[in-house]
Amino acid sequence: MKFNLFRAPDGVEGGAPAETPLMAAPPVVHSSGPVGPTKIAARDVSVFYSGKQALHDVSLDIPDKTVTALIGPSGCGKSTFLRTMNRMNDTIPGCKVTGRIEMDGEDINAKSVDPVLLRARVGMVFQKPNPFPKTIYENVAYGPRIHGLATSRAELDVVVEASLKRAGLWEEVADRLHSPGTGLSGGQQQRLVIARAIAVEPEVILMDEPCSALDPIATAKIEELIDELRERYCIVIVTHSMAQAARVSQRTAFFHMGRLIETGDTEDIFTNPRERRTLDYITGRFG
Amino acid sequence: MTDATVTPEVRAERLRAGLKRRYAREGRFRLYGLLAIGVAVGFLLLLLGRIIEQGHTAFYTHTVTVPVYMDPARVDRAYPQGTNFELLVAEQQLARMGVADDAQGLKAAAMRGLFSSELKFAAAARIQANPNLIGQTVPIAAPASDDADLYFKGEISLDTPADQRRLSDEQIGWLDRMKTSGLVAAHFNSGLFTRGDSTEPELAGVLGAVVGSALMLLVTAFIAIPLGVGAALYLEEFAPRGRITDLIEVNINNLAAVPSIIYGLLGLALFINWMHLPRASPLVGGLVLALMALPTIIIATRSSLKAVPPSIREAALAMGASKTQTVFHHTLPLAMPGVMTGAIISMAHALGETAPLLLIGMVSFIPGIPHGLGEPTGALPSLVYIWENASERAFHERTAAAILVLLAFMIVMNAAAIFLRRRFERRW
Repeated sequence: MKFNLFRAPDGVEGGAPAETPLMAAPPVVHSSGPVGPTKIAARDVSVFYSGKQALHDVSLDIPDKTVTALIGPSGCGKSTFLRTMNRMNDTIPGCKVTGRIEMDGEDINAKSVDPVLLRARVGMVFQKPNPFPKTIYENVAYGPRIHGLATSRAELDVVVEASLKRAGLWEEVADRLHSPGTGLSGGQQQRLVIARAIAVEPEVILMDEPCSALDPIATAKIEELIDELRERYCIVIVTHSMAQAARVSQRTAFFHMGRLIETGDTEDIFTNPRERRTLDYITGRFG
Repeated sequence: MTDATVTPEVRAERLRAGLKRRYAREGRFRLYGLLAIGVAVGFLLLLLGRIIEQGHTAFYTHTVTVPVYMDPARVDRAYPQGTNFELLVAEQQLARMGVADDAQGLKAAAMRGLFSSELKFAAAARIQANPNLIGQTVPIAAPASDDADLYFKGEISLDTPADQRRLSDEQIGWLDRMKTSGLVAAHFNSGLFTRGDSTEPELAGVLGAVVGSALMLLVTAFIAIPLGVGAALYLEEFAPRGRITDLIEVNINNLAAVPSIIYGLLGLALFINWMHLPRASPLVGGLVLALMALPTIIIATRSSLKAVPPSIREAALAMGASKTQTVFHHTLPLAMPGVMTGAIISMAHALGETAPLLLIGMVSFIPGIPHGLGEPTGALPSLVYIWENASERAFHERTAAAILVLLAFMIVMNAAAIFLRRRFERRW
């Protein structure tokens, strides 16, 4: 683990939060060890959109069986970083990713790694619930079907039921599996999308602000679900809500202006931030 | 400065006045809209009304049934087609009416003009089927000639001076007598739908053109829809964005605006002169119309693909679907209603297109009904064009009738396509 010995926590005197000398500084890494073994290791990851750099040399270890929250103001690069982990940035024309991202020690950007197979191992949940305009059953069955994971209808039935149960949606939809998934409420749709993602038994689940379009009750259900899913998966969640990051995550990484500023145990970050910008952000002074 | 301050009363007054103006403006705008729709509907009704008024008479016709004594001296037993049945019938009819012919046989000729040439074929067919009828009197039914038919429909008036109408006073007198003696019957003109084109209006039908148009559209649909949708899919979903793609896009947009006669020239040069495909055939017609329909289909398909929310594509890609799976499982099915609409519009255009058909020989007189893609055929719009140019008056009502058939064809086609689109939309 890297220690940041160069900078003591800043005082709380006023002034612009993002001072230039701070920009190039290496991130603060809190001392406590990871909660699980490292699942994904990012090293010096930079992302360019048509030549414009959106992410600067991010190095971050993401532990398994843990919820890691990526926080930071809008446009700070946290979603961009999230999308490097399942190579969704490949689909954006003019996007270039440099650096190294290892999953279980294997470089996911290597030529030998097929993005299609990678995405079967790394599921993703988006900000806006985006179920396919198909039935609930078909939504969940889609992944196993295209990856050839279930070969018979009976196997598929089992996978669909198990996934919906794990996503906490089974009881609500068991009697209408063959009605359209888009007819569900926003929170149900988001859980359907989670069920769809876990139906292919991924190892990592990436969540890009999964609750920002939901009401507090639906949000609470999703957070509960995330907490349950942690036992089986490595979860990375991008969130704008400090409270949510504090509630669901064990690890937190704070991004600002395309750089990783501070990372460590969530409790540490929230109770004892060492970077002024982190403090300012979590106390709501900017962002 | 105090003069410029606005009191609350003045503010309220101004707001009220402004509100009144805004509502008045909205009211005016709605009125313009209603007027525009009214004018459009009015013209449409006028057009349709005029066509129906002109064309409805073509849907019924008159048949004359005359007893014919199959005179053994004149009917050729071995080759009944060679018999001059028309003269035979005319003379017998004159005799029955007690009219003596003159030396040149002008009256018989005038009488002949009241029957369609179909009479000859009907009589010959009876004899050929049963030669024992020779020597007997057989009732033979045949369409009235186009002029006689027009007279029965009231289109030839006795008020017109005799030298300006197609039937003489004497002929009209004969027709009246035949009608009162019950030889003339009016009935639905089924021949219009069961015959090909003919130089005789009373024998001309639209079947050849309908079959030709249908075959042509089949060719067009089978070529233009898969090609157009495929091209649009590639351009929209797979092609790398760049100068070449932009160039192709601009060219496709321009092609959609190229006058259709140019496509006819291209078809003539490419398919007939170079590939030596048969002239005036549904194959060539369909190929030319497919070229014409392609840009429209590509543009419509691309815009409906663009309208599919990117979140669906992202969802599929994030699930590990390949690009092709994403396109065929999600994007294309969601874009299908738009694709179908584009296809319907371009097919409807293709159906009504006349100019390119001029150049590939489809406006020549083709009486047959095509049985294959390589046989010469007419098409509905070119039939309208040919009939409109025909000198016989009886073709006027038939032109309008052909237009009505064309419109009905279009409505049936669109209804079928809309039905299919609904099915697609409901499927999840």
